[in-house]
Amino acid sequence: MKLEVEGLTVYFPYESIYPEQVEYMRELKRALDAGGHVLLEMPTGTGKTAALLSLIVSYSIHKNFKFKLLYCTRTVHEMEKTLAELRLLASHLPTPTSLLALGLSSRKNLCVNPHVLSAQSRDSVDAACRRLTASWVRSLAHDNPQVPTCPFFESYDRAASAGPDALLLPPGVYTLGDLRSFGRSKGWCPYFLARQMIRYANVVVYSYQYLLDPKVATIISKEMQKECVVVFDEAHNIDNVCIEALSVSIRKQTLEARLKATDAGRLRAEYNRLVDGLAQRGNLAITDAWLGNPALPDDILKEAVPGNIRRAEHFLSVLRRLVQYLKSRLLTEKVETENPVNFCAAINSQAGIDQKMLKFCYDRLHSLMLTLEITNTDEFMHIQTVCDFATLVSTYARGFSIIIEPYDERMPTIPDPVLQLSCHDASLAIKPVFDRFQSVIITSGTLSPIDLYPRLLNFSPVISRSFTMSLTRDCICPMVLTRGSDQLPVSTKFDMRSDPGVVRNYGRLLLEMVAAVPDGIVCFFVSYSYMDGIVNSWNEMGILQFSHASIENSTFPMVMLQLATKDVMQHKLVFIETQDVVETTLALDNYRKACDCGRGAVFFSVARGKVAEGIDFDRHYGRLVIMFGVPFQYTLSRILLARLQYLRETFQIKEGDFLTFDALRQAAQCVGRVIRSKADYGMMIFADKRYSRHDKRSKLPGWILSHLHDAHLNLSTDMALHIAREFLRRMAQPYDKTGCGSKKTLLSEEDVMKMSEGAMDTY
Amino acid sequence: MYGAGVAFQPTSSAGGSSKEKKRRDEDDEEEEDDNEGKGTDAWERAYADERSWEDLQEDESGLLRPIDTKTLVHAQYRKRLLLRSSTGGSVASRIQKGLIRYFYIVIDLSRAASETDYRPSRMAVVAKQAEAFIREFFDQNPLSHVGLVTMKDGLAHRLTEIGGSPEAQIKALMGKLECCGEASLQNALELVHGYLSQIPSYGHREVLILSSALTTCDPGDVMETVQRCKRAKIRCSVIGLSAEVFICKHLCEETGGTYTVALNESHFKELLLEHAPPPPAIAEYAAANLIKMGFPQRGAEGVVSICSCHKEAKVGGGYTCPRCKVRVCELPTECRTCGLTLVSSPHLARSYHHLFPVAPFDEVSPHGRPGQRLPTTCFGCQQSFVGQGGAQPSLRTSCPKCNQFFCIDCDIYIHESLHNCPGCESQHNSSV
Repeated sequence: MKLEVEGLTVYFPYESIYPEQVEYMRELKRALDAGGHVLLEMPTGTGKTAALLSLIVSYSIHKNFKFKLLYCTRTVHEMEKTLAELRLLASHLPTPTSLLALGLSSRKNLCVNPHVLSAQSRDSVDAACRRLTASWVRSLAHDNPQVPTCPFFESYDRAASAGPDALLLPPGVYTLGDLRSFGRSKGWCPYFLARQMIRYANVVVYSYQYLLDPKVATIISKEMQKECVVVFDEAHNIDNVCIEALSVSIRKQTLEARLKATDAGRLRAEYNRLVDGLAQRGNLAITDAWLGNPALPDDILKEAVPGNIRRAEHFLSVLRRLVQYLKSRLLTEKVETENPVNFCAAINSQAGIDQKMLKFCYDRLHSLMLTLEITNTDEFMHIQTVCDFATLVSTYARGFSIIIEPYDERMPTIPDPVLQLSCHDASLAIKPVFDRFQSVIITSGTLSPIDLYPRLLNFSPVISRSFTMSLTRDCICPMVLTRGSDQLPVSTKFDMRSDPGVVRNYGRLLLEMVAAVPDGIVCFFVSYSYMDGIVNSWNEMGILQFSHASIENSTFPMVMLQLATKDVMQHKLVFIETQDVVETTLALDNYRKACDCGRGAVFFSVARGKVAEGIDFDRHYGRLVIMFGVPFQYTLSRILLARLQYLRETFQIKEGDFLTFDALRQAAQCVGRVIRSKADYGMMIFADKRYSRHDKRSKLPGWILSHLHDAHLNLSTDMALHIAREFLRRMAQPYDKTGCGSKKTLLSEEDVMKMSEGAMDTY
Repeated sequence: MYGAGVAFQPTSSAGGSSKEKKRRDEDDEEEEDDNEGKGTDAWERAYADERSWEDLQEDESGLLRPIDTKTLVHAQYRKRLLLRSSTGGSVASRIQKGLIRYFYIVIDLSRAASETDYRPSRMAVVAKQAEAFIREFFDQNPLSHVGLVTMKDGLAHRLTEIGGSPEAQIKALMGKLECCGEASLQNALELVHGYLSQIPSYGHREVLILSSALTTCDPGDVMETVQRCKRAKIRCSVIGLSAEVFICKHLCEETGGTYTVALNESHFKELLLEHAPPPPAIAEYAAANLIKMGFPQRGAEGVVSICSCHKEAKVGGGYTCPRCKVRVCELPTECRTCGLTLVSSPHLARSYHHLFPVAPFDEVSPHGRPGQRLPTTCFGCQQSFVGQGGAQPSLRTSCPKCNQFFCIDCDIYIHESLHNCPGCESQHNSSV
């Protein structure tokens, strides 16, 4: 359908539209007109992506494709979903438009060469590719046909050398799969093709890192012009992504592995320099290429590499001294916290390396590696870490701290020294993006409280708004459970969490719910250690009964707890998330199977874990989610303490406020997993007495709050059970999807026309 | 609300056979029980959930009045009727219906059936309603057969063989009411599939599962069984007692059945009775084929003969197969010896109305179109449309064929019980 949004013709790929989508588009249009940054919260399942894409693409058609859309997603899966949505949209655009949209991902996802793909990790795929495609390898192959090269890259290169126009993707929408099959049919390398084509594409979908991480951004995003519109989807954790992009942690192993590699590198360096003396030339050429870097501050780019590390052997000795110094720091017995300025000064006095040299470590290493024609970059990962560290620590004087911990806080007996450079200021990484691009749109299902994000990221949005969901029926049912059936309060507060009464009440809650809720239930706990503890106690109480084999297996984390004969197991199978990704994936697969075949299953997971962030439990995979406790961060962590202090001093954000905000955002994220569309339904139980307090509760997103009735604020287990039963019966009844009368939730083209006319009249 | 919809009783003295009436009276009682049940746990509910203010509405002068439940009931009835006629096809385009149904009722007697959210327990409610359903089913489908299967302890067990007598089924059901263990959907489906795949091709194979459990403990892949049922053209329907379960929904979608979840006892009854009228025939069967049937004679009283169904000598009663002269006890059935379908002619006649339903009547506004004089009395019961003391004239409807006017009560009676329009019939007679 087509609709008018304040004079702009918007092409929308569906026959009908939700009213909040129209609202969303209107706000977006205003923001684009104003050319500023936007913060928009709209619940999941309301077609955020569709609304966003249709408006921006229509807007760009209106402006004759003057600007590009850079759409950043968190995961490859989301990228695929976005591109699928975009393809649907493309088929509804007027015919003469030539929209080119493509997804860009790492080599691992795009490569079509079977030899390269046989490598396991992302880094080894990258390395394997470089071994085949690096320029010196190819020139070697030119003389000696025995040297293996990649046939796809070769033919791509031949096509590319014929001129820029010879190498064109026809207009259309390309998912990663499409790119691969296109590459296969043409015999071109899809990865390099995609990297080439982002220059011409109207829409590019890629990962956050390509814009935020300064290392990657230099390579990928440097050619984007100012008029781009940047979208960060699912951006509720954007501050953490920014911080991670600029944080480095160094362990003992890192340093040791590094030394070995450096030795090998040194040998080859000397050899190579003898052979062709290329070091100097390569160095300078590469430094030029850094210009236009969007993410590193300008000053680092303008300066030339200082003379005393220009020569490779000098640079290597500098690195060796640096590593020695870091090693000596790691020998410490107590926890140390330092700021970067002091740290640099200490390095200068003790290792004789000045700040400027540190600053160029990263670039210098990179150019060295190019000169040395090192293709197996994965083996050099550790040196790169150290150089990243050096560059970062010397570049930023504020917003960072260096924390050296000789052992893990939770296991003080095992020495595991770690040196962390942690970034406290999320605005550092994202600042170049805000500065460079005209409009940055940050959107997610949970951005509450919305006023905190501009402060954390240090920008001023032209529009920040939170939308609610218009529903035909009350398909979400949040509840706050504060006490068990025996009226004792439940909480995961530190002084209460190991109380047997609390543990029992939580157990009873789970037990009652597994008997009353069909198919899938997801439980979130505040941490792995808490989950292990409480599951153990439940086991002892006989609430969960495991088969003997699994109890004997004392390490406890297990993929699947086989069915036994009592209590929870009678109703549902239990699956547990562990820190191991493969195990968890297996557990999830089996969980889904158990839900599909009607056996029913419970999934125990951890807030802030992988499952809480990226896995959807929609439809029958999640009819109920129970949030056991408030998922506060581990408040004794040095990094967190340092960050809190920084936030208080720099942005005047109170510690308590930030912690609550962060905990509630995690909780909302967890419970939001169950509802992914309007036709879906699900219940959410917040099982902690602290949720009934206004200061906690009010930080939940509006679309949850609006369904949280006062009557559901202070429930005990039996009351919650009663409500759950009623709710499930009500939801199982057939309903009319479009809604009726004034509560219309699905608008057709005429409805939208009428609505906009109505709006005109009121103005 | 739903209870009221069913419990409505026609005012006309002619309305409803005594049996019908009895059933409705029972229903009224149940409703009272139900209300009492609600009363006891009212303290558990928040006041907000009761929504008592929704029973009130403001009239023209701004006074609050309770909503007229009777009008609501009528509106609901009309909606249902129109829905049925729209899905079932109008009179003009008659569609085939499966009149000869082989119908298995699967009753879930797993542990979940002992829950007491229905009073006294889910199991008791299911049994009671299943009894009523079986009677109603045979009333509406005299040519059909019913069998009972129970699920308990992870196994499925055939309670009764598929047969045409309501009494035998009900007796068998009432004797076996105890629940324990798990329910197994797959075992039940496999069992039913085994039995139903043997029946002749003109018969419609149906399963109705009354499921209390929210989980099913299966020995293998239930999805395969679902596909086998689909291939065997068994129409599976499920009525859940507590919540929507994905696998049940999947089963019903795949096999063309309906999946419903009951809100309370009266709603459960309503959902159950929806399965009594025959469903539209599946397209593959739509090709009409002739079925050989025998119309046996009733044996003389006092004659001793050997009955083929019980394998023993019996005195009196019984029917004799016209082809092989063997004695059978009851109709409809299949002859044990020659396999002929044996029915009686009233059975056929009683199935007839499903194929030629009375068209839904048009609603007429109480004031009529300008220039048209409306009769003041109902054609059916002769009662005046205009209430005493100038009250609002009640809703009236007219038959689209004979254009006679009926009150809503007669409308309900004609469509639910009589299946003939008195207006059209009398017209027909006078013209002859």
